[in-house]
Amino acid sequence: MTFLHPVALVGLVAAAIPTLLHLLERRVPPEAEFPPLRYLSEAERQSARRLKLRHLLLLILRTAVIVLIVLAAARPLFPTQASGGSLHEPTALAVILDNSASSGLVVDGRLVLDRLRAVARGSLARAAASDRLWLVLADGVARAGTPEALVATVDSAGVSARRLDLTAAVRAAARLVDAEPLPAREVHVVSDLQRTALGPGRAGVPRGVRVLALAPPSQAPANRGVGAVRVTDAAATVGIVGTPGEGGGAASVTLRIRGREVGHALGAPGSTATITLPPLGAGWWVGEAVLDADELRADDRRLLVWRVAPPARVATPSSTGGGPFVAAALAVLEEGRRVRPGNEIAIGDRPEAGTLVSIVIPPAEPALIGQANRALAARGGRLRFASEGTPGPIAGPALPAIAGLQVARRYRIEPSAGGGGPGTRSDSGVLATVNGEPWLVRDGSILLLGSRLDTAWTALPAVPAFVPFVDALVNRLARGEAPITEVEGSAGVEFRTRGADTIGAIVSGLDPRESDLTPASPALVHDVLGADVLDEAAFAAARFAGAGRRDGSGLLLLLALLIALAELGVATRTR
Amino acid sequence: MSSTRDIRLFISFRQAMADVQRIDLLDPAEVARFGGIEIVAQGVVEGFLSGIHRSPFRGFSVEFTEHRAYQPGDELRYLDWKILARADRLFVKQFEQETNLRAMILVDASRSMAWRGAPNRLTKRAYADRLAAALALILLRQRDATGLITFDEAVREVVPARVKAGQWARLVRGLLDTPDGRGTAAQDALVRLTSLLARRGLVVLVSDLLFERELALTALRYLRHRGHQVIVLHLMDPAEAELSGPPEVRYRDPESAASVVVRPRELARVYQATVRREVDAWRTACRRHGIAYHHILTDMPFGMALRLLA
Repeated sequence: MTFLHPVALVGLVAAAIPTLLHLLERRVPPEAEFPPLRYLSEAERQSARRLKLRHLLLLILRTAVIVLIVLAAARPLFPTQASGGSLHEPTALAVILDNSASSGLVVDGRLVLDRLRAVARGSLARAAASDRLWLVLADGVARAGTPEALVATVDSAGVSARRLDLTAAVRAAARLVDAEPLPAREVHVVSDLQRTALGPGRAGVPRGVRVLALAPPSQAPANRGVGAVRVTDAAATVGIVGTPGEGGGAASVTLRIRGREVGHALGAPGSTATITLPPLGAGWWVGEAVLDADELRADDRRLLVWRVAPPARVATPSSTGGGPFVAAALAVLEEGRRVRPGNEIAIGDRPEAGTLVSIVIPPAEPALIGQANRALAARGGRLRFASEGTPGPIAGPALPAIAGLQVARRYRIEPSAGGGGPGTRSDSGVLATVNGEPWLVRDGSILLLGSRLDTAWTALPAVPAFVPFVDALVNRLARGEAPITEVEGSAGVEFRTRGADTIGAIVSGLDPRESDLTPASPALVHDVLGADVLDEAAFAAARFAGAGRRDGSGLLLLLALLIALAELGVATRTR
Repeated sequence: MSSTRDIRLFISFRQAMADVQRIDLLDPAEVARFGGIEIVAQGVVEGFLSGIHRSPFRGFSVEFTEHRAYQPGDELRYLDWKILARADRLFVKQFEQETNLRAMILVDASRSMAWRGAPNRLTKRAYADRLAAALALILLRQRDATGLITFDEAVREVVPARVKAGQWARLVRGLLDTPDGRGTAAQDALVRLTSLLARRGLVVLVSDLLFERELALTALRYLRHRGHQVIVLHLMDPAEAELSGPPEVRYRDPESAASVVVRPRELARVYQATVRREVDAWRTACRRHGIAYHHILTDMPFGMALRLLA
């Protein structure tokens, strides 16, 4: 039993009032003569036991009436097995409503999200004013609010294109409610409980926080979706994702470019389909891979963007240049028709005159650093090689393939005297860093590398990503082109421009993991989320500390009234 | 009659009340306001006798003399049923009063008798005095020798039984000369005064009987054994019969140092039952020994009290 207003229990000291009144009333009574005292003494002797019992009974009854009234004022909450218990002890509750893309699945003509919304609405509707509430949607943001406001949010929540990492969401929600100084703390996971929604690690739910998860349907519905799409020179590779083992037949994938079908292919979930691209002119192209419609429509279509451009024309200087590793990489690229000999781009330890872009790496001899810096300044460069920097890993969003590779030796890249720092112009910027210091920097028509592309300076030439790195260096970075970024969200394309030129694109689409509708087993959910997986009825009964609580004040007041009537009866009948 | 002034008062009182209602049936306290014991007693007796037309004590001291024919208005209790059965004629028996009856009235003057439960009532002693005076007047008018003994813890006044003129005045003076006692052990005096009653006769005890019942009964049984006809008039104030008072009070016995703190409302029912049981015990004990017993509350009109003795 708990109390809504425990402060009122201080009033229990009032239970001493009858005893105090009895003691205070013990004054000297008036005196009078009464001849038949013998009759009186006899009557008192006969009644002594009855009167003592009566006085004790009255004292108990009066004390009980006061105690019951005080207890009623404290609003006691009695647990009840009925799920409709209207009250419960103050609870910090976070409801995680998984409205990720998979909740857009249609089952028996009804959206899965509608079922999830009804359950979430039930949890919020049973909340009382003394509860502290949060609502977490697929965006992972915890929204605090009143039950009414959060129910309105639930009602207005649609199917989101975002994927919800349930492990992270439960971890954050559990910490949130655990920080609240309330007697009960709960997290309600209202989700279709995809296996792929469980992120790495465990939620690590603090002790005292109950996590309840709504059980998913026992059978995984069949689904196929378009996964990652890659465009090479002559073909598009489409990954087919979905629920493994369900509806295992091949699906027909259609590739459309600018609304026109350019090819078809068949593919089963888990496989890839390759569609040959027609000859396309130079420029940016947008296409889409489309599957036949099924119960989850959101993953049946995915956009793709690629650029068709001529190979870079790279000049190989007669000097030490980029070293043997760069020369070997360029040879491979040339063989693969990714580069051609020419004078557009030069790679060397100083800027080359007559080229559009110079990729400058530091000279092997430290004594030549000054000479290189002077050459850079002569080409209008605002950056220079400075002292040697500390070793460290490569970092930078522009080159994710080489992130983390170790750099053993490098020169710091600093602004030259009178020049601005990197990034002060629209065509300048830091492309990669080591230990937070610029390592690969674009400065107008010059790209500066802090290390030589040699295994004595960095591990980069020894890894498979080296040739793609050189490819990106000459075909993309030298042209000032940004990478095509894929982000999670509704299907769409956003181009990045510099001036009048398109230099990159952001393609948004569903996380392919959303297509796998295989539910996590209760054991896995309990292990990862620390949650009890319950069906709808059990979930409704278990929420808010497992049982509803009813306000017992009415019952106590009724009991107090009955005892008061009994007291009245004893006080009048036993005279 | 003690003085001409009293006679005048009584005459005016009787004239004033004659046409209104009988004095003996008025509230005792109201009647007491008309004057002293003599006036009240005479008024009561006059009213009482005029109400019943005949002496109610005929049976105490009469002997059968003759029969006469029944006249309308005669009391049926004097009808001779044997003649009626034998001869089918209505005759009533006539009696002749005797003068050799000796009646002694014993009045308890202990301290408990000087108590009343309300200011508008007579004390038990005052009620007893007036009742004794009225009873004595009736007996003297029947020419019965009547005497008086007052007592508390000791015998206070003794007026030997006589029938001569002025005897009633002596009796009344004896009552007036007896102060309210302080005594407590009235039963001892009761035992001692039995020796004063040598000749057989009528003994009327007027008391609140607040003493040991067995000791008192011993004395009364002794009198009965000596051939006396004994009548006990148990006086009780109405406040003694039903307990009431403040929420809490310390009651003190006027005859002793004993006291007790009670809540009258809590004890009222049990107390009433106790008093009723005590009265019943007295009545039963007296009946067992051939003693007439009457329970009289001090708000009972004197005429009704005298009627109990008829």
